[in-house]
Amino acid sequence: MNGAELVLKVLQQQGVNTIFGYPGGAIMPIYDAIYHSTVKHYLCRHEQGGAFSAIGYARASGKVGVCLATSGPGATNLITSLADALLDSVPLVAITGQVSQAVMGSDAFQEVDVLGLSLSVTKHSFMVRNVKDLAATLQEAFRLAQSGRPGPVLVDIPKDIQLAPAVEPEWPEYPAPRIATSLANAAKARELIANAKKPIAYIGGGVQMADALAQLQTFLAESVMPSVTTLKGMGSVARANPHYLGMLGMHGTQAANLAVQQCDLLICLGARFDDRVTGNLAKFAPGAKVIHVDIDPAEINKVRFADCAFIGDMKQILPAISATTQCEAWLAHCQQLKQQYGWRYDHPGERIFAPLMLKQLSDRMPDNSVVCCDVGQHQMWVAQHMRFNSPRNHLSSGGLGTMGFGLPAAIGAKLARPQDTVIAVSGDGSFMMNVQELGTIKRFRLPVKIVIVDNQRLGMVKQWQQLFFNERYSETDLSDNPDFVALAAAFAIPGHTITRKDEVESALDAMFTWPGPYLLHVRIDEKDNVWPLVPPGAANEDMLTETN
Amino acid sequence: MQHTLTITTSNEASVVERLLQVTRYRGYQLAGLELTPLTDRAGMQITLKVQSDKPITLLTNQLAKLYDVQHLVLASADVAVLRA
Repeated sequence: MNGAELVLKVLQQQGVNTIFGYPGGAIMPIYDAIYHSTVKHYLCRHEQGGAFSAIGYARASGKVGVCLATSGPGATNLITSLADALLDSVPLVAITGQVSQAVMGSDAFQEVDVLGLSLSVTKHSFMVRNVKDLAATLQEAFRLAQSGRPGPVLVDIPKDIQLAPAVEPEWPEYPAPRIATSLANAAKARELIANAKKPIAYIGGGVQMADALAQLQTFLAESVMPSVTTLKGMGSVARANPHYLGMLGMHGTQAANLAVQQCDLLICLGARFDDRVTGNLAKFAPGAKVIHVDIDPAEINKVRFADCAFIGDMKQILPAISATTQCEAWLAHCQQLKQQYGWRYDHPGERIFAPLMLKQLSDRMPDNSVVCCDVGQHQMWVAQHMRFNSPRNHLSSGGLGTMGFGLPAAIGAKLARPQDTVIAVSGDGSFMMNVQELGTIKRFRLPVKIVIVDNQRLGMVKQWQQLFFNERYSETDLSDNPDFVALAAAFAIPGHTITRKDEVESALDAMFTWPGPYLLHVRIDEKDNVWPLVPPGAANEDMLTETN
Repeated sequence: MQHTLTITTSNEASVVERLLQVTRYRGYQLAGLELTPLTDRAGMQITLKVQSDKPITLLTNQLAKLYDVQHLVLASADVAVLRA
């Protein structure tokens, strides 16, 4: 056995049966080992696409995603995906081939200092210098990717290590990790909750990642209060909960933003006061005391001071801070906000109104469907107008906001959950960023449904140019887009273009009825914008709407 | 304000880069750096002096998360200021 074969052994030992990657010179020994391995490798058409597929696989399944790339350009192509996984706390192990140690540091062919490049985009990165350390390093990479706040870990393996004779090690039994959790502040938190007149729960992606959705529902049932979610927290609150107000932040619902601005107690659960959430930080929830629960100590007091903080296991903390609330007037007020600012889908004309089309898609998609987004206007419309019953069913690039995320993430999600419907909702700009992954869909005949919301513009940038740059539409015109249906056909994927409202329902039905991959090209009016919008520098109550 | 951090780390080749990358990215200016290998070569003791108007805990919390950082101590004078 050589080092490369040992890599595959470790993957099997870690329970990995699906990996994504692209071969090249410095990783050829590992690909040679893959040739005989039971670990299934999915050839992507660009390393960034492969890593996003691994991220989609991880986010849809809760398992660690694994991607492979060769040295040099293969490794540099991973960087955006690693950054995406870091900012969205996704457990990912990236394995890169490196030139042999004998030539490292000599500017050898396809040599790049990937360890150096990885410093700011990974949770940690390893360079294996001795084949004796190979198995333990990979095992540590898997442990680290999943422990505490999850994140991407890179393991760079020189070619000579891959080729060196290796011995299968003893596989130690690791005890399940224990998360240090202090409940010392629990009484204080219960008192804050019990005495609050206007409490609200602000829920991020960390609740799902802590596997604490059941504890969250119990908490919200016992400590009855309104709740809002971040983009990554969407789907955390049970659909039946009447006090859920939707997403907060720049394109959040008016009810969510107004309620948070007015609250006197903000209970932040697995979220991090991101600037897209807070708007003008100095004016964010100005009258609120804060209870902050997170597994990462560095998030406490990073952006907003916490009056009461908990670091550790959300599953233990939520039951410990549950307290009966006395806030009937506040609940009624929030209900009134919800009624007053509900979405409206009446839109003049025959052209397709994206929010309505996405609501129709949401209403029609099978339960437990996974929706993977790209970035831009369509992403915010999905967040506003589609409903999810788990954050694992809504995969959106939150922290990094990476165009090109959606299509490869959908590939990973479909492989993670083959029984569930997977829909990639993309924009015409984003779709072209990783369009080569249509080749991966074709090769593996993956029945991914693709909906392109096409306004022939880089819509979100165009919207900001319209509102904040005096309508100087610099480089946002995409009216020379390719024929998307013909493009899909080149990959043996059928498709259809619709332009009118009355075509939407039958087109969606046709897409879901078709057994294989399908592309639905939806032309919309370039004048349609995402509302409401908190302008840059404004407080969240100062939302712009279509009418003001 | 200047702060002094005493950090015990593993002996990985990239450890100083990691400390400096976090220090720069989080907005703290380097004011001094001293490295002493531990006698058993199991690690290093690094004294890091930084300057910033930001609260020092924003940096120490990030540095403490680094995989290679085993122990981090803020100089007692700085701690006294924080508690004041």
